Amino acid sequence: MAIPDTSHYCLLTTAYSLTMLENFSFRTIVEYLPLFGQGLVTTVWLSLLSFAGALAVGIVLAAMNLQRGWLFRVPAKAYIDAVRATPLLAQLYFLYFGLPRLGIILPELVVGILALSLNSGAYVAEIIRAGILSIPRGQVEAGVASGMTYVQRMRLVILPQAFKVTIPPLLGQAIVLVKDSALLSLIAVAELTRAGQLLASDRFMPAEGFVTIAAFYLLLYYGLKGLAALSGRWLGLAGART
Amino acid sequence: MIWQQLQSLVGSYPLALRGLGMTVMLSLISLVLGTLIGFGLGILRTGGNRLVSGAIGAWVDLIRGTPFLVQIFLIFFILPEFGIELDAFTAGIIALTNLAACFICEIVVAGIRSVPTGQVEAALASGLSRWQRMRQVVLPQAMRIVLPPLVGQYVLLIKDSSVVSAIGLTDLTRVGWLVVQRVPNGLLVFFLVGVGYFIVCYPLILLARRLEQRMGAAHGEVQL
Amino acid sequence: MTSNRSKNGAGMIEFRGVNKWFGALNVLKDITLSVEPREVVVVCGPSGSGKSTLIRCINGLETIRDGDLVVDGQRLGDPATNMTRLRTEIGFVFQSFNLYPHKTALENVTLAPIHVRKIPRAEAEKAGRELLAKVGLADKVNAYPAQLSGGQQQRVAIARCLGMRPKIMLFDEPTSALDPEMISEVLDVMVAVAEEGMTMMVVTHEMGFARKVAQRVVFMDAGAIVESGTPEEFFSHPKTDRSRAFLSKILRH
Repeated sequence: MAIPDTSHYCLLTTAYSLTMLENFSFRTIVEYLPLFGQGLVTTVWLSLLSFAGALAVGIVLAAMNLQRGWLFRVPAKAYIDAVRATPLLAQLYFLYFGLPRLGIILPELVVGILALSLNSGAYVAEIIRAGILSIPRGQVEAGVASGMTYVQRMRLVILPQAFKVTIPPLLGQAIVLVKDSALLSLIAVAELTRAGQLLASDRFMPAEGFVTIAAFYLLLYYGLKGLAALSGRWLGLAGART
Repeated sequence: MIWQQLQSLVGSYPLALRGLGMTVMLSLISLVLGTLIGFGLGILRTGGNRLVSGAIGAWVDLIRGTPFLVQIFLIFFILPEFGIELDAFTAGIIALTNLAACFICEIVVAGIRSVPTGQVEAALASGLSRWQRMRQVVLPQAMRIVLPPLVGQYVLLIKDSSVVSAIGLTDLTRVGWLVVQRVPNGLLVFFLVGVGYFIVCYPLILLARRLEQRMGAAHGEVQL
Repeated sequence: MTSNRSKNGAGMIEFRGVNKWFGALNVLKDITLSVEPREVVVVCGPSGSGKSTLIRCINGLETIRDGDLVVDGQRLGDPATNMTRLRTEIGFVFQSFNLYPHKTALENVTLAPIHVRKIPRAEAEKAGRELLAKVGLADKVNAYPAQLSGGQQQRVAIARCLGMRPKIMLFDEPTSALDPEMISEVLDVMVAVAEEGMTMMVVTHEMGFARKVAQRVVFMDAGAIVESGTPEEFFSHPKTDRSRAFLSKILRH
């Protein structure tokens, strides 16, 4: 039941469906290529920033969530559940329409990065927590037996091992984040999807616009997917999947 | 001023109910259709035919690799160019069903692969047909692996349904967007929108967690 | 099915020059072997000698590269042969039991009779209970496999095969996954099946079983049949060095 690599089928299907569209204008795409390029670059760096933010939020939340006392654990759990049970778009609008109410006026781009970081942070926290909990109890006990403090055990025994198992799911979350960043186009951030919308509305060429950006997203997707597969191999994880 | 806003919010509760109804309806229809199609695709993908399996894999990858918002735009704006006129609701249902089917397909494939080959051989040896093997032996055992992520997928589906507001469907998120134009308190309005989603999604999240624990505890040895 | 047996020769199972490769590895080399109706043949040999592969070919769990394999008058690989139908005539007992974990002992036994043979449920269940009683598990009818010992699971597996009323039964090392104290309970059931006149091929190292019921012992090594004879001949006067070496190893245990 080996499943063949499918990327070339993808390209074939896309190419085939394009031939079915009459008047598909590659010229317009080429003409708008600089715009798409800018959008792609924006999507990449705002995703990177947001992912860094998500890691920060996630580490703090995971640390809070792993405490024994309820004082930190309960708020962290509540935050994670609240984020997981509501759509990113509603969270984005919450910040976009809500922050000015608190007197905080931020550029759309910053609001977008903030929303992505806070949203992805909750998922990252769960990934990190699962990674730490996956380390067998015997490891903790061995650390205790050799007289290590909590911090030493974490730093020397638990985290290096947990790090390995969290890399592939973290890259999976990065894929989700890149795709989620498309929603920022709805608050007029000039990223990749916005570029497609512009072509669609300026020239009434939705096919050209959206097919092109879909192709760009696929590029990012396969890149990250390849990275996840590679990292799995480097880290010697059996059956690492995204 | 807060008082006035609250009054105005209470006044828009029929709209909010309609939005919630739209969200639930969209999710429910595409959840049922997506599950049926997803299981079908998953079974076909693990079947022997390389061409069918490859084509399904490619389609699933295509959908997993692109943002849902872009998929909605593609369906809503491009299908009409092939002569298929769609209203926003149908476009939303098609997009959500397709998305759900693709993700569920992957879940089902993982479940089917988790069933030991000895089980299939035993069924084969007693002369069960392809469909009987699937129905009687493989699927019931795969369900242990499939069920927890399947419920998790339903939560994602309900949340993703918010994205169809981008093509003008008046779902819960769109209602928030409309109300906030009249009642300029984004914090309050979208907090309430969030509560609406939370009420629908949170029980499912709890259910997924329960299932995961139960399946993990009862069949720890089967878990890969 | 019985009618066209005669026109293809007398053997219930006929290997004629069968070869099989796993990649470059020739796992079955020019196998020629005929098993008569009601005959019990024990297949033994060192691990990796191809003995499991040999019997897995008979019900099509493995496919052969060349040569002829005719089972119950039907040629395997022939488009005219309905493999699913043929499999219903062949019981197969696995080393690792492969009971369906989500079904009770009785459901394991009745699944194929109900869905493949289309026997009414009530009738199938009655027959299933009788079979489970016959293998000494009348009190375990509603137990799930996880609640049974290895020996009990293997007896359910044998009952599951018998439920299809097969013409042939194949056993692939049926006792090698069992704790020593459970081996005899399974062998007893197999002896009973053999004494009822079932055509059997049994891959096993249980030489006591071979002595008791087998008409023939086939010794395989490196994919080829090295020696074949009555248990008496084989155990007392092994003809080749390889079979002598093999016997000295397993008899010492």
